[in-house]
Amino acid sequence: DIISTVEFNHTGELLATGDKGGRVVIFQREPESKNAPHSQGEYDVYSTFQSHEPEFDYLKSLEIEEKINKIKWLPQHNAAHSLLSTNDKTIKLWKITERDKRPEGYNLKDEEGKLKDLSTVTSLQVPVLKPMDLMVEVSPRRVFANGHTYHINSISVNSDCETYMSADDLRINLWHLAVTDRSFNIVDIKPANMEDLTEVITASEFHPHHCNLFVYSSSKGSLRLCDMRAAALCDKHSKLFEEPEDPSNRSFFSEIISSVSDVKFSHSGRYMLTRDYLTVKVWDLNMEARPIETYQVHDYLRSKLCSLYENDCIFDKFECAWNGSDSVIMTGAYNNFFRMFDRNTKRDVTLEASRESSKPRAVLKPRRVCVGGKRRRDDISVDSLDFTKKILHTAWHPAENIIAVAATNNLYIFQDKVNSEMH
Amino acid sequence: MEVQKEAQRIMTLSVWKMYHSRMQRGGLRLHRSLQLSLVMRSARELYLSAKVEAHEPEVPLPPVRSPDPRLHQSREAEAVAEAAPPDGEQPSPEPMDTREAPPAEETPARCAPRPAKVSRKRRNSSLSDGGDVGLVPSKKARLEEEGEGASAEVPDRLQPPPAQAEGAFPNLARVLQRRFSGLLNCSPPAPPTAPPACEAKPACRPADSMLNVLVRAVVAF
Repeated sequence: DIISTVEFNHTGELLATGDKGGRVVIFQREPESKNAPHSQGEYDVYSTFQSHEPEFDYLKSLEIEEKINKIKWLPQHNAAHSLLSTNDKTIKLWKITERDKRPEGYNLKDEEGKLKDLSTVTSLQVPVLKPMDLMVEVSPRRVFANGHTYHINSISVNSDCETYMSADDLRINLWHLAVTDRSFNIVDIKPANMEDLTEVITASEFHPHHCNLFVYSSSKGSLRLCDMRAAALCDKHSKLFEEPEDPSNRSFFSEIISSVSDVKFSHSGRYMLTRDYLTVKVWDLNMEARPIETYQVHDYLRSKLCSLYENDCIFDKFECAWNGSDSVIMTGAYNNFFRMFDRNTKRDVTLEASRESSKPRAVLKPRRVCVGGKRRRDDISVDSLDFTKKILHTAWHPAENIIAVAATNNLYIFQDKVNSEMH
Repeated sequence: MEVQKEAQRIMTLSVWKMYHSRMQRGGLRLHRSLQLSLVMRSARELYLSAKVEAHEPEVPLPPVRSPDPRLHQSREAEAVAEAAPPDGEQPSPEPMDTREAPPAEETPARCAPRPAKVSRKRRNSSLSDGGDVGLVPSKKARLEEEGEGASAEVPDRLQPPPAQAEGAFPNLARVLQRRFSGLLNCSPPAPPTAPPACEAKPACRPADSMLNVLVRAVVAF
């Protein structure tokens, strides 16, 4: 099924994917072993479960899709792993545990669990734990329902590990992980008169270190940093990050393409990364006037916005990601291409996630889109790009150069074995 | 002229998209509706200014109405559900009110200036289909008076051109009607399972209510 979200956990040992059918598949990295040098830390399926089912809202006569919009891992505190998964309306907390032993030697039950005939029991034994094949059990621990009128677009776990927030088009709610029947509304941009609506919330995230700070992006291309210490309702932002529009780029579709589809804090907490339709931008929390870096993802599409509007591609919401050291940023594009930008060397590369180019241990070859002018042999022209093959969801391992790229219904995991500046 | 044609094409496209977005699983998406309405508005402004230049002096410049998001006004399912929509003036719950924000359109109330008073009537909300008539009795009654008697879906069926809900542009509305009568005759795609409130497309309607319907098509979302 079509993958709708990809997320590494905090150690990178586990990788979760959610799909349109409401399923979550978790991959686990195999420990590198000297005996099998070929399986150097590859990811295998660890667990699969159905997170959300389609529901029907009878009051509004609406079907609620089971598609998983976002998955976020909780920091691990004990042997169990936990993650939050959400569809348009309901967030669920799942606990993932392993069972690799089972008790054997009961006195009253036999191996199959049937009660023994007491007359055959002549001595007592203490049941012992014997190893068994690893079984991964996933159970829903909490269901956070009925918090949102509009469609949830993001969730983010706070660094305090006790609370998390969920954002829909107009509101952001703060939840406690242990409390399901109540949430606090911390942002509400719904105008008194819906006729006056001009922008919606598109993404939000908590600061990685400061538990009182969070950011949310809007469809107008602005970012608002809010401080929960300032007021209970954070409608008034602490900082507003907005870049003035370039008048030379104005078109019918300027407003649509300036909408921010994803926002991510850097691991350091000093920067934010945003993705709009044609660019990725790095913002410094200390500078609100404009981003400190702007990278063109596929500027050759700027002249094709009308066709992209016709085929709905202009509404695609691409995600973006930082690498562990915040030196490289990555985002997806069309034709199963994804792009990486090295912030230090200012070099960028375009790579393709496809079966042909992804034989095991093959090195990915950089691709190029030619926009007229000289065309090299393997270049692809803009007009032959396949717009049905889009990479919307990507994730970068928190520490190593391992990336997970979702191309429609395939997941590609690329690892960098040699320390090189570009993947 | 090219500009006008292009603008018209985009408006038509936008309306089609709005119509189709209602049929999606999961209901109308507020963000998508907002984006479509923004494009519609830009295209409309361009179309109108091109029209003005192409000597149609009697068409006044569009007052800049509050942005199309006004279309989203009827979003409140809760509002509709909780209280029988009280206010006749209020641009209210359009059919879409029980769904995600309706796309861009001007409210019917805005059509007030139009010659046909019927345009002031709010359309039936989808709530009233299903027997929740008690919640919005007045609307349904008005609709019946109008002789429309159709659900909100109806105008959608007529698949209207980028409607002009402004009462101030009767000429534009007529032009659109003339131009898009072909569109009106072609039926929209087979109704998907979704909106229960959908009713059969009316076979034929008197011309003036068609105009009203056209005008309100935008609202239909």
